[in-house]
Amino acid sequence: MAVDTSVAGSAPADITAPTAQDADPLGGGMSLRAKLATPAVFAGVCVALYAWVQGRELDSIEQRVVNADFIVERLLQHLQLTAASTLLVIAIAVPLGILLTRAGARSITPPLIGAANIGQAVPSIGVLVLLALWWTIGFRPAVVALVAYSILPVLRNTMVGLQQVDRSTIDAGRGMGMTKRQVLRRIELPLAVPVILAGVRTALVINVGTATLATFVNAGGLGDVINNGLVQNRFTVIVVGSVLTAVLALFIDYLGGLVEDLLRPKGL
Amino acid sequence: MSLGEYLVKNWDRLLELTVEHAVIVLIALAIATVVGVTVGIATYRTQRPSKIALAVAGIFLTIPSFALFGLLIAPLGLGAKPAIVALVLYALLPILRNTIAGLRAVDPAVVESAQGMGMGRWQRLVRIELPLAWPIVITGVRVSAMITVGIAAIAAVINGPGLGKDIFRALARVGTPTAVSQALSATLGIIAIGILLDVGFLLLGKLTTSRGIRD
Repeated sequence: MAVDTSVAGSAPADITAPTAQDADPLGGGMSLRAKLATPAVFAGVCVALYAWVQGRELDSIEQRVVNADFIVERLLQHLQLTAASTLLVIAIAVPLGILLTRAGARSITPPLIGAANIGQAVPSIGVLVLLALWWTIGFRPAVVALVAYSILPVLRNTMVGLQQVDRSTIDAGRGMGMTKRQVLRRIELPLAVPVILAGVRTALVINVGTATLATFVNAGGLGDVINNGLVQNRFTVIVVGSVLTAVLALFIDYLGGLVEDLLRPKGL
Repeated sequence: MSLGEYLVKNWDRLLELTVEHAVIVLIALAIATVVGVTVGIATYRTQRPSKIALAVAGIFLTIPSFALFGLLIAPLGLGAKPAIVALVLYALLPILRNTIAGLRAVDPAVVESAQGMGMGRWQRLVRIELPLAWPIVITGVRVSAMITVGIAAIAAVINGPGLGKDIFRALARVGTPTAVSQALSATLGIIAIGILLDVGFLLLGKLTTSRGIRD
């Protein structure tokens, strides 16, 4: 489980920090049964939703939103937003985290982790709306807002992951004649991978959730469906949008858990 | 209009929204603390129930806030009620997790010696285990505070109270001279509440920690 990796072996003070684990109900400890049953549950919810909608008379306003074309298009937009922002976050935060943990920059870590904690209080909708007002609407501001909002967990976990590597392991590597770069690539990074992955999974979950708000800056996504229902006051539309969004987020988190398990270096 | 002028002109309303915002967050945190600590106490001794409780709380936190607000309209309608319920659900996981972790971290030898002194199970829990676990529990509350302060802004889409109202009002007025100031002041207000709560819970944690284990 993501949380355990960063809490284990550290002072209780670390439990205080909002970490990866926050979004980790189905983490690495997932049994085979849970791994197989989880997608079945998601599929079951979708089938139940479909049957419920079929049993209802939809008026023309509802039909315009609750149909396969509209929903699939919004789903694809949602996935694009999530994928683009998560990849950008990894590309920025991991190298930056490595840079900030090299000798010389270490004193930045504590204030940065403090900022990461308070950074959660920054309202995602505020960032999104400000970008729309200052800059433009559409896909780009949405991705920038998502990146700004989810970069801290990855940065924080990269730094924590690298710093928790046992000093004596690093010294042993140096003693064997490895250069600093080799120590980083062959010792520090592999040992930090589980913690970094936990951070990436947190960012992924934040992104898939925050992408729901992209509708407010005309960037589409499944939030479009919910918002349509709210604006037109159509209960069925709200339920369809909300359930689909929730299932998508839980499914992405589930996939993140599987990938986390797969990518964890053997021997850890 | 500059942000400064805007603030001077709208000070009263901003203060009112800020108080509303802080109040729903504090109500939600209070409920989540009672629920989280109770469930934590009920499950920390056992593996499976505690795992299930954590998984359920984790699912709540994974559901996007906009979707959860939408789902709660059906049973609870619009306004403050569904907003508070959603915030409680989001605040549960850190509190529950830290309660379980804190109670499990209590040294069994200490609990045994309390038993040896003739304390019953309830007394041990109230007088020994909970006070020892408290610093960890309250840091969980602090983490939850940060999560809920930001999410509370989204409650405005279902007519919930708080500074989120001004963010959505600004969005509806794109292009007008006050839109940016309005969204910016509301966002900064929410961050200010976050910082105040963070410091507040840090102090509260220090003050309410049993004197014997203060550092």
